[in-house]
Amino acid sequence: MDLSLNDEQQAFRALARDFLDREAVPHRVEWDRAESVDLAIVPKMAEIGFFGLTIPEEYGGLGGDYVTYSLAMEELGRADSALRGIVSVSSGLVGKSILFHGSEEQKQEWLPQLAEATKLGCFGLTEPDVGSDAGNLTTRARRDGDDYVIDGQKLYITNGTWADVALIFARTGSDGPRGISAFLVPTDAPGFEAREIKGKLGLRGQATAELFLDGVRVPASAMLGEEGTGFKIAMSTLDKGRLAVASGCVGIVQGCLETAVEYATSRTQFGRPLAGFQLVQDMIADISLDADAARLLAWRCADLIDRGEPYGVAASKAKLFASEAAVRAANNALQVHGGAGYVDEYPPAKYLRDARVMTLYEGTSQIQKLLIGRDETGISAFV
Amino acid sequence: MSEQHRSDLEQRVTALLEAHDPATTGRAEFLRARWDAGLAWVHFPEGLGGLGLPRDLQAHVDDLLAAAGAPDNAPERNGIGLGMAAPTILAHGTPEQHERFLRPLWLGEEIWCQLFSEPGAGSDLAAVATRAVRDEPSDEWVVNGQKVWTSSAHLADFAILVARTDPDVPKHGGLSYFLLGMREPGVEVRPLRQLTGEAEFNEVFLTDVRVPDAQRLGAVGEGWRIANTTLNSERVSIGGQAVPREAGMVGKVAAAWRAAPERRTHGAHRRLLDLWVQAEAARITGSRVRQQLAVGAPGPEGSATKLVFARLAQELSALEVELLEEDGLRYDDWTLTRPEKVDFTGRDAGYRYLRAKGNSIEGGTSEILRNIIAERVLGLPGEPRVDKDVAWKDLPR
Ligand SMILES: Cc1cc2nc3c(=O)[nH]c(=O)nc-3n(C[C@H](O)[C@H](O)[C@H](O)COP(=O)(O)OP(=O)(O)OC[C@H]3O[C@@H](n4cnc5c(N)ncnc54)[C@H](O)[C@@H]3O)c2cc1C
Ligand SMILES: Cc1cc2nc3c(=O)[nH]c(=O)nc-3n(C[C@H](O)[C@H](O)[C@H](O)COP(=O)(O)OP(=O)(O)OC[C@H]3O[C@@H](n4cnc5c(N)ncnc54)[C@H](O)[C@@H]3O)c2cc1C
Repeated sequence: MDLSLNDEQQAFRALARDFLDREAVPHRVEWDRAESVDLAIVPKMAEIGFFGLTIPEEYGGLGGDYVTYSLAMEELGRADSALRGIVSVSSGLVGKSILFHGSEEQKQEWLPQLAEATKLGCFGLTEPDVGSDAGNLTTRARRDGDDYVIDGQKLYITNGTWADVALIFARTGSDGPRGISAFLVPTDAPGFEAREIKGKLGLRGQATAELFLDGVRVPASAMLGEEGTGFKIAMSTLDKGRLAVASGCVGIVQGCLETAVEYATSRTQFGRPLAGFQLVQDMIADISLDADAARLLAWRCADLIDRGEPYGVAASKAKLFASEAAVRAANNALQVHGGAGYVDEYPPAKYLRDARVMTLYEGTSQIQKLLIGRDETGISAFV
Repeated sequence: MSEQHRSDLEQRVTALLEAHDPATTGRAEFLRARWDAGLAWVHFPEGLGGLGLPRDLQAHVDDLLAAAGAPDNAPERNGIGLGMAAPTILAHGTPEQHERFLRPLWLGEEIWCQLFSEPGAGSDLAAVATRAVRDEPSDEWVVNGQKVWTSSAHLADFAILVARTDPDVPKHGGLSYFLLGMREPGVEVRPLRQLTGEAEFNEVFLTDVRVPDAQRLGAVGEGWRIANTTLNSERVSIGGQAVPREAGMVGKVAAAWRAAPERRTHGAHRRLLDLWVQAEAARITGSRVRQQLAVGAPGPEGSATKLVFARLAQELSALEVELLEEDGLRYDDWTLTRPEKVDFTGRDAGYRYLRAKGNSIEGGTSEILRNIIAERVLGLPGEPRVDKDVAWKDLPR
């Protein structure tokens, strides 16, 4: 077993960190307060390669491996989880759905633009009444001649107001998961409206929206994959998405570790650095352990994908552990900072608010446990 | 609590309500009459708003008055005054100071804040660097320095202040305690935005602020001992009040659970029950601690209730956010406000979750409380202290 990174992976990580330390870290508090990152950073991020990492070179991407992708997500999570969300939704959820399930024309049309971030994508699955229970979604796509006409509503859609293309999951057939199909819907289509949801606890720099589809007409060629396979597409894409969330959370833990160590070694109380108190080292050791454990789980998942082996449960474990670890690490880092931890300007506050959201979306911790439990026992306890 | 005390009190409350019908009496007038009747804080001495009775009886008085529709003194607006300044002034003040400060404090006419923490002195409070220098001719002290994390400084009329009066002795011995006027020239208050988006606390800059010697509390050099009265009271006042079952954060979570049957899971149920039992145990322990406090100022025992309060507040508020699933993403208001009061269970779930993070820091961090419990309650050997016998001015900074 070799857990070392190769030269290319190390070089990418160094490049990513250097770029984000310059272009993102100094602005993240300001972006968070303003509820929007400065979108001018998107093309710069594309230049580094964040958006094209796992898209093959023939479609304008870098064709990188998933370990590198995990490293990239970690660096983004360490710098600003809002940026991580923008990338992993546009190139991850949307790009990978197209890459693995799209027709050649769909790939040619969208992938190069997503890889260069000249277009952004959003992923339209969750609805006001269906969150964890996506198989019961109610948005409908009705066949009308050579077209489909889509009606429905989507909620908590990352990139919703910024996206050029929305991957919309809608019901084309009977009830349940088998009646769902996926469509690539241009967001400037008549009847498509996105409204930003302001006032979030975390991930405030990324646009989260409600989507309204009112008689949106798309050609039949906009369907992604076969009719009735939408749910399968969504689930297999979300498995990979979990790797992105997990890796982003590793970045949060890593960021918490660095800021806690830096604060505890530079501030003095009772004539000693804070790091000289056992109870403070206890917190730092916990963060450090969480960083290693979360990272190893994420890397294992990435490695399974790179080797073409099943990775779904590994992704669930990584996401569950890393997101809970991110909350723990942020709490610990906040506590190490004392009163300063409770101030908006210092890093722990934002890490904490972002981490909290990670345990709630892309499959809550409870759902991940049921996935893992089903795998271990062979019995589904989903209700 | 004795039945005799209880019925005496009930008679007094009835008499107050008869003489000053809340329906026809103005708020200020009613509160003054309540003070004069000794029903403001029954554990304070007679003549100072109390009757010298055990403090647990106060909750009964408050209930009777609330049931009769009487106004209260808006205690949430003056938590530091009522919970910290008042017991300290009572314990260490002169009769003149009692007379001057306690009544307007209780009435809410004068709001108080706490000028203890500094950029260089948080947990290590005895290291404060703010200087108070005596100006003999005027019989005043001249104060210079910077304080930080000062809750409600933007509302306060007075502050309890710990300042260094003698830099030549070891740090604990060179401190004195003052009651400083926040409206005096030289006091500058700047908001500090915190995790919740609001600015509940502030930075306070003190430049040549004058405090009359008559507003020094206790002897010169006694500041550390007096500050400990304040800190012990603070730990009882954060999370140590008498509350009914399922009040506070546990009540919020239980309500969220009851309101959304479709979101219940077995995992969440187990956590809720576990935390509910712990909250109930903490509540009952708190009541026992308060009975021990019936006489005199609180000792270090309150550290344990405050420690547990903070942990439970954080775990319960986290569970509440999780129960909301994706809606837990929402946050009600991010504008930089300067709140009128401190309310741990106010606003929505997201706010409560973030506000609770302060509970393990304010009033002594959870780590410091563990040290206090170990050393002063359990009598375990102390941490090695490198700076105990060195003159403050010679300490590395
Ligand atoms: C089943 C068993 C088998 C063992 N087999 C062997 C063996 O084959 N060979 C052998 O040599 N030993 C053996 N040991 C001994 C074992 O290694 C010691 O018990 C262990 O090192 C702890 O030392 P102690 O018991 O003296 O506890 P102490 O060192 O006295 O520790 C007591 C407590 O204080 C804490 N503590 C100690 N120092 C510090 C500090 N500086 N700061 C904070 N906390 C501290 C510890 O974490 C612990 O909680 C065995 C022990 C057990 C239980
Ligand atoms: C919401 C809020 C309101 C507040 N309001 C007020 C107020 O009104 N007035 C006021 O004066 N102050 C106020 N404070 C300040 C508060 O009292 C201090 O923040 C607190 O005492 C900690 O000090 P510090 O921030 O300097 O942290 P530090 O003392 O620097 O502590 C940093 C970390 O080191 C740990 N640590 C420090 N010493 C030790 C040790 N010996 N052993 C183990 N661990 C240690 C701490 O536990 C903490 O985790 C408020 C704080 C908050 C969060």
